[in-house]
Amino acid sequence: MTALRTEGLGRRYRRTWALRDCSVALPSGRVIALVGPNGAGKSTLLHLAAGLLAPTTGTIRAFGRPVRESLERIAFMAQGKPLYSGFRVAEMLAFGRRLNPRWDDAAARGRLAELGIPFDRRIGRLSGGQRTQVALTVALAKRPDLLVMDEPLADLDPLARQDMMRGLMAAVAETGLTVLLSSHMVSELDGTCDWLTVVNKGRVQVSGDIDELVAGHRLLTGPAENADALAARLPVISRGGTGRQATLLVRDTAPLPDPRWTGRPVSLEETVLAYLRAPDLAALPRPALTSLG
Amino acid sequence: MLWLTWRQHRAQILVTGALLFVLGLLLLVSGLRASSYITEQAPPGCPGPAAACSAVNSAIYDDYYYPVFMVFGLLPILGSALIGAFWGAPLLAAEFERGTNALAWTQSVSTGRWLVTKLCLLGGVVVVAALILSAMIGAWLPVFRDVIGDKSLEPGTFTLIGVVPAAWWLYAFVLGAAAGTLFRRTLAAMAVTVALVALTVPAVFFSRDSYAEPVRAVTTGSTAIYQSGGALVREAWLTPSGQEIAAPPAGECPSPAGVDVRSERAQLLKDECLLDEGYRKAVYYHPTSRFWRFQWTESGILLAAALVLGGLTVTRTLHRRN
Repeated sequence: MTALRTEGLGRRYRRTWALRDCSVALPSGRVIALVGPNGAGKSTLLHLAAGLLAPTTGTIRAFGRPVRESLERIAFMAQGKPLYSGFRVAEMLAFGRRLNPRWDDAAARGRLAELGIPFDRRIGRLSGGQRTQVALTVALAKRPDLLVMDEPLADLDPLARQDMMRGLMAAVAETGLTVLLSSHMVSELDGTCDWLTVVNKGRVQVSGDIDELVAGHRLLTGPAENADALAARLPVISRGGTGRQATLLVRDTAPLPDPRWTGRPVSLEETVLAYLRAPDLAALPRPALTSLG
Repeated sequence: MLWLTWRQHRAQILVTGALLFVLGLLLLVSGLRASSYITEQAPPGCPGPAAACSAVNSAIYDDYYYPVFMVFGLLPILGSALIGAFWGAPLLAAEFERGTNALAWTQSVSTGRWLVTKLCLLGGVVVVAALILSAMIGAWLPVFRDVIGDKSLEPGTFTLIGVVPAAWWLYAFVLGAAAGTLFRRTLAAMAVTVALVALTVPAVFFSRDSYAEPVRAVTTGSTAIYQSGGALVREAWLTPSGQEIAAPPAGECPSPAGVDVRSERAQLLKDECLLDEGYRKAVYYHPTSRFWRFQWTESGILLAAALVLGGLTVTRTLHRRN
């Protein structure tokens, strides 16, 4: 089943396009990482997914319905995790309870009590990690089917980052909700996220299952003199090397014809970086589109 | 939404309530002291227009009416400016400034409902607060009726009584909200709101005379009309043949020798002389009986402006979102 589907989605701010011609289908029940350089259109896509922005062109649908009609089923945690800093923790929960029909107050209270966050403390006086946990609690207690988070890890120390991801994973395991989160820390995503979508210069470049994506790419090393010949036959994402030796990162796993060339598996980070350095490769058939049902 | 509106704006509601309470207390004390002074000190038949009353009239005016009215004289501009800056401007600007709009508008309540509910609830409270103020001033003024006459059409008083205060405050509130969605910074929105209120108040004051065609009266003087509380618009001269002229004829009734032409005495002498020669004054004015008609006209103008600004606020907010 598809959690989020966009067709020809575009958003323009005055004259510049933040996102254009974006068609992706993100599967439900996954933890989806949205990756891309600053200003690539990640936030725009997430705001469109949360219903905060209206598309300039195209459509965006969550679970088959336009996102603006599915607000009950979508929770959003904006960049910086904004909360009302003058509210007490208990008032922040009252806010969620009064604005959401599906609100699970017992779960929210239980979660915060377990984390040892005092209910009568003002939000402004909580630590950054505690504030993140309150924001996550408010988002989860809405019992969303899709949780959209813009840079949830950005302003956290490593310990708080781990706590946050642990809380998130527990919720995913328990409820089967779909999570769509953006990050520019690719190394942190391996092991927690299972789907990757790369946005670059306002366009979707890659979208696919992380394991399949990583397994579908190799780093080839061989003599520089016949690198051009090999590159002409394979889909090359990036080229490197020094002097007589050349390296090619390719999206291909077939046996190599030339024994002087060797291949090794690549990490998620290597793959992502290779794509980000070659934004024009969006013209190639995306690995994601073939693997989507 | 009711709880959220109260929780987010209770500071404004409570401070406004407290200020109204203090103003009410001030008016109550002033009114009670003035009436006891009148019953105990004023000679029989006073205060009133009689010449014998002039001393007690001015004593009441100077000691009880004027000091309080100095405070209230500021209210037409100050009250609207405060409402616009502290009720209207932060409504959206504070959310944008802190990014909490992304929190508020991603709950299960649509942004349109969130905004319209807040505008209606807070607008309603603003209207009720203004009507309370207007009722308090309306109860205080009659104590001085015999001293100052009917002042209901005087610009300062007119803005403080009847339904006009409610229209002004509502207009200022919506203006603040519109500035908030356009500028997205609380301080900038507040400044713009105060500036626009400060521009609107004189603009409306000066256009009041044109709410209706003034009544024309041909008299020998305008004092009686002025004492009845009528609002003078303009005066002209009528020649003995009935022709209306803007200024008194230059050749008629020259100043007698030894009197400075520019002095007030010369003016009075000339007027007397002209009236003796058969000239008359044509006075254009609004009688006090037009009070409610003017109240509803001004309220209508301001409410229409508030409606336009409210529509602008909603469409701009929904259109641009983040």
